[in-house]
Amino acid sequence: MTVWTWLALASAVAVALVAAAEVRRRAATRAAGRRFLRHPTATAGVFILAFFVTTALAAPLVAPYDPAGQLDPVHLQNQPPSTRFPLGTDVYSRDVWSRLVYGARLSLGIGTIAMLVAVTVGAGVGAAAGYFRRGIDAVLMRSVDVGLAMPRMFVLLMAVALWERLPLAVLVLLIGLTGWFGTSRLVRADVLSLREREFVAAARAVGAGPTRVIFRHVLPNAAAPIIVSAAFGIGNVILLEAGLSYLGLGVPSPLPSWGSIIYDGQPYIATAPWTSGFPGLAIALVVLALNAVGDGLRDALDPRKEAT
Amino acid sequence: MTAWLVRRLAAAIAIVFAVVTITFVLIHLAPGTPFAADDQRQVDPEVIARLRRQFGLDQPLPVQYVLYLRNLLHGELGQSFSQHRPVAAAIADAIPPTLTLAGTALVIDFALGLALGLYQAVRARRFGDIALGNVALFFNSMPTFWLGLILLLVFGQWLHVFPVGGMRDPVLCPSVTSARCLGDLLWHLTLPALTLGLVGAAATARYQRAAMLEVAGQDYVRTARAKGLRERRVLLVHALRNALLPIITLFGLAFPFLLTGAVLVERVFAWPGMGRLSVTAIFQRDYPLVTGAALVASGVVVLGSLVADVLYAVADPRIRGRGAGP
Repeated sequence: MTVWTWLALASAVAVALVAAAEVRRRAATRAAGRRFLRHPTATAGVFILAFFVTTALAAPLVAPYDPAGQLDPVHLQNQPPSTRFPLGTDVYSRDVWSRLVYGARLSLGIGTIAMLVAVTVGAGVGAAAGYFRRGIDAVLMRSVDVGLAMPRMFVLLMAVALWERLPLAVLVLLIGLTGWFGTSRLVRADVLSLREREFVAAARAVGAGPTRVIFRHVLPNAAAPIIVSAAFGIGNVILLEAGLSYLGLGVPSPLPSWGSIIYDGQPYIATAPWTSGFPGLAIALVVLALNAVGDGLRDALDPRKEAT
Repeated sequence: MTAWLVRRLAAAIAIVFAVVTITFVLIHLAPGTPFAADDQRQVDPEVIARLRRQFGLDQPLPVQYVLYLRNLLHGELGQSFSQHRPVAAAIADAIPPTLTLAGTALVIDFALGLALGLYQAVRARRFGDIALGNVALFFNSMPTFWLGLILLLVFGQWLHVFPVGGMRDPVLCPSVTSARCLGDLLWHLTLPALTLGLVGAAATARYQRAAMLEVAGQDYVRTARAKGLRERRVLLVHALRNALLPIITLFGLAFPFLLTGAVLVERVFAWPGMGRLSVTAIFQRDYPLVTGAALVASGVVVLGSLVADVLYAVADPRIRGRGAGP
């Protein structure tokens, strides 16, 4: 670790602090924002998220070593944390801190993309089912019942194990495509009540087609469940990816994701617990932050419920 | 109520049927076959052809599917490729360990979760509530298997209080026969059950606290307070009854959580249950065993939500009164 990496890390903390302060300042001007801020942990969550996103984006600056580079396989195996390697090294003599920083890119990236896929499909299916009702609703919701009854882990395991060397992009897509069932139910419930409202009838009366009514009038008003399930969705995907990688089926090994770092360190957990310990802590922190922000958003966007 | 129950049951069976179909199609569409020569072993093509014929893999897929369904209707899950015994036998061996683990975890989950949630609701917005709430949120955010690894490291490797894996001592207690072996089983069970239970309890506590506080804002609770009842009695007697209703839903949701968690936790603790069986079956392309495991897994999930729905209808007169149910 050189002075520069420490400086970069300090800058990341500073950026995150500024981001959290800015969110606070903006939020305080609106009623929904104030409900968000009433959660004591929501601001802390924003800070943690901002910190991890900044380090992920600035990974080359914050990480002192090449995340896949084996520094000295003979002498630097499983070194405990020191000033040179702040989080130690793994069995291949790679710097755990550098892997963790680059891992943030993969884990957060996978979480975000898979969540976007899940939320898009979920919102689309939920809106179609709630708006058109009848046959479409019945077919879609029965498929959702089936989807919810299939253990997600099981499906993903099957896909990854049976199609060997599945490209990472396909895996991310699959994670997204198995995660929209809950969202679609929430969106459908909202759309069912929205479609009976006067402004929807008015839009239809002036000749707007179903696509326009759904996208311009109904869905924007059903944004609350979509945004909230997006916040929780990222965390779920990160946990899921970690689980898959732990079974050796997620992100392929030289690439560092938080799950695959845990997988690499697991056989040596007794002698070198830092390799598996720190990425798990990072996952817990990020998911914690996402849950805190999700809780805050839920109360902020759903004024019918008093903040508890 | 009966008509509703019958409809609900029919839907549950249809869902499990759909899951089995999807699994069947997925696994047969995947590249690769269970019987093939690989780098390690040379197999005579004649032998492969005979094996494929023996297990009916030479038939067209629709024929295989119809045959599988016909056997399923007779309660036949088929013959496992890798274990040289019926799928039903393999699953029957794996269910008791998983039930032991998941059942104990469920007890920890709800006992600890309800107690914590209640305590938090009673002390709402005070130090104890906020501190516990954050701890619960942290546990709720951990990867379950990672918590297992950490517990294993601390209590198994460092403190040597608990064993580092397995379900029972293979030499002294090959099966539960005496009180000492039961103790041995419990000793092996503690860490994995705690792992699953703690993560679940964190979620349960959060729900329970929210449910209590929501109910506590209702008029009838205010009436109870106005009568001059003590706060403790108002919350623990009057509010609790209704606050337990959403917990029933949570109970149904706990099944898939425990099942998914068990796949990973069983791996961490080398626990010989359904999770481990499914993972090895998938890797070995043991088609009948995978489909059988999917059948059991989805069956448990569907059963969980069915039981939750029925309990809900029984517990909540507002739903029962509607007759048709949700």
